[in-house]
Amino acid sequence: MPPDVSVRNLVKHYVVPERAGGLRASFRSVLRRKHRLVRAVDGISFEVDRGEVVGFLGPNGAGKTTALKVLSGLLHPTDGQVDVLGFTPWDRRAEYLSRITLIMGQRQQLFWDLPAADSFLVNKAVFGIDDAVYTRTVDLLTELLDLGDLLTKPVRQLSLGERMKVELAAGLLHGPRVLFLDEPTIGLDVTMQQRIREFVTAYNAETGATVLLTSHYMADVKALARRVIVIDKGRLLYDGALDGLVQRYAPHKTITVHLERETDLPDLNGQAEVLSVEGLQITVRAGKDDAPEVTGRLLTQLPIADLSVEDPPLEEVIDQVFRGERL
Amino acid sequence: MRILRIVAAFLRAAILKETAYRAELVGNLFRSVINIAVAVGGLAVVFSHTSELSGWRLEQAMVLLGVYYLVQGVVQTALSPSLNEVVTEVRKGTFDYVLLKPVPSLLLSSTRRFVVWHIADVLLGGAIIAIGLIRLEAQITFGVAAIFAGVMVGGIAIVFSIWLALTTLVFWFVRVENITMIFQLFFDTGRYPVEIYPFWLRSLLTFVFPVAFITTVPAQTITGREPLVAIWLAPLIGALALLAAARFWRIGLSRYTSASS
Repeated sequence: MPPDVSVRNLVKHYVVPERAGGLRASFRSVLRRKHRLVRAVDGISFEVDRGEVVGFLGPNGAGKTTALKVLSGLLHPTDGQVDVLGFTPWDRRAEYLSRITLIMGQRQQLFWDLPAADSFLVNKAVFGIDDAVYTRTVDLLTELLDLGDLLTKPVRQLSLGERMKVELAAGLLHGPRVLFLDEPTIGLDVTMQQRIREFVTAYNAETGATVLLTSHYMADVKALARRVIVIDKGRLLYDGALDGLVQRYAPHKTITVHLERETDLPDLNGQAEVLSVEGLQITVRAGKDDAPEVTGRLLTQLPIADLSVEDPPLEEVIDQVFRGERL
Repeated sequence: MRILRIVAAFLRAAILKETAYRAELVGNLFRSVINIAVAVGGLAVVFSHTSELSGWRLEQAMVLLGVYYLVQGVVQTALSPSLNEVVTEVRKGTFDYVLLKPVPSLLLSSTRRFVVWHIADVLLGGAIIAIGLIRLEAQITFGVAAIFAGVMVGGIAIVFSIWLALTTLVFWFVRVENITMIFQLFFDTGRYPVEIYPFWLRSLLTFVFPVAFITTVPAQTITGREPLVAIWLAPLIGALALLAAARFWRIGLSRYTSASS
């Protein structure tokens, strides 16, 4: 089976007006604008198989949103080939647009003054959805998203989280096979983020839809995506399993011990680095290969009450990736 | 068929939205009635001093005013709300959702919003035309009515095209509200026959910014006045204007999809 999404050497450059701050510069820019070339996406390639959930990671301005917009047909790329479900996205064929969705956490499509149900009917007409299919889809989404009576209240009366739920539903009415989700949990409280994540997982399991999502929140990525694509400054830094990212960019373990009483630090033979000593708690960092030996030493040399060996937190790993460092 | 269903869905949403704000609905209707009453009163004042204005009698000028309000009603009900929405959405970034729909963007952009209470302008305009024609004791044959309808459709097509072209500028300049204000300025000249304006302005309003085709020519056709230009020019120019505006829209759109981030 060919992959649902195939991206070959995608490049998207665009030109933005540039001006220095201040009144004089402003006046000058009215007459003569200076422009700057932005390399939003600078040659990335990847494939996504049917039913996969892939997380797009990257700092602000990394090119995540631009990539999603090219994939959903909103932008023409500067160079490269993209194939989604056998279509070239930017041809914007009706058959293609009926099979995908792009949901942007920061941009709403529902009528503000009307209940979401009324906006849904508009989308039903626009996508030409059959009555039976429509009813079935709304039932499924109502159940998965726990929409309850949210659909009958004017959108302006909904909380941010509730609004995101109905926005998600609005974007999924036509039963798309490929979902592009751009920051679907942005600005939501922790509980609501959790609900949205559970929904995406359930929707993916229920419909087998392929999902590409971007997020700032590491929790989203940890919960949803087994595979991550990390991009920064338009370039692909990593594509693979989430675990692999930790292996590759943080090949070390953090060992934390709680002591029974105060004592001198042991000799670590240069295999580990002491990160912190706080009262009876000592944290050291050791290379993956050295970790067992270091742990052994600590156990034999110290009066230990408790010991834990962990991978470094994902946030830290990602941070390292973006700073181009390796530990 | 599908298109009709889409437009019906938008129309339904629009009616629901307007009726959700009943106070606004009543206030706006009131404003329409006052506006038109004042305009008719103005005509009456002018014609109390003269029996003819550049060859137009009061009743003929009333028909022209009726045409003006009818066209304005159509524009404000069905055309400008959708196109103004495009301007807002391009700035907010939600225009992307229009492009994500499996329907031609121009169709969606020009049929999405309706401000239904402006229908009042259409009805009042029609009423003024009827009153003018009755007082003229005009003999309206089926043929004259058909020609009038054809000329009106041409006029509305011209209005739509100009508005669409001005809206399309949003893909380059982002802020274009002021440009659409210019449209209203020219359009307002259509309350009076173009013959009353000095030669240079009359030429401008006939050939460059063809307001003449929107109100003067239809009023001439139905009140039996000698037309300013050949009548068949109205639908022809209307059709050409639509084609040109649609082409310009596509150019604007390709800029949007290649230049924006």
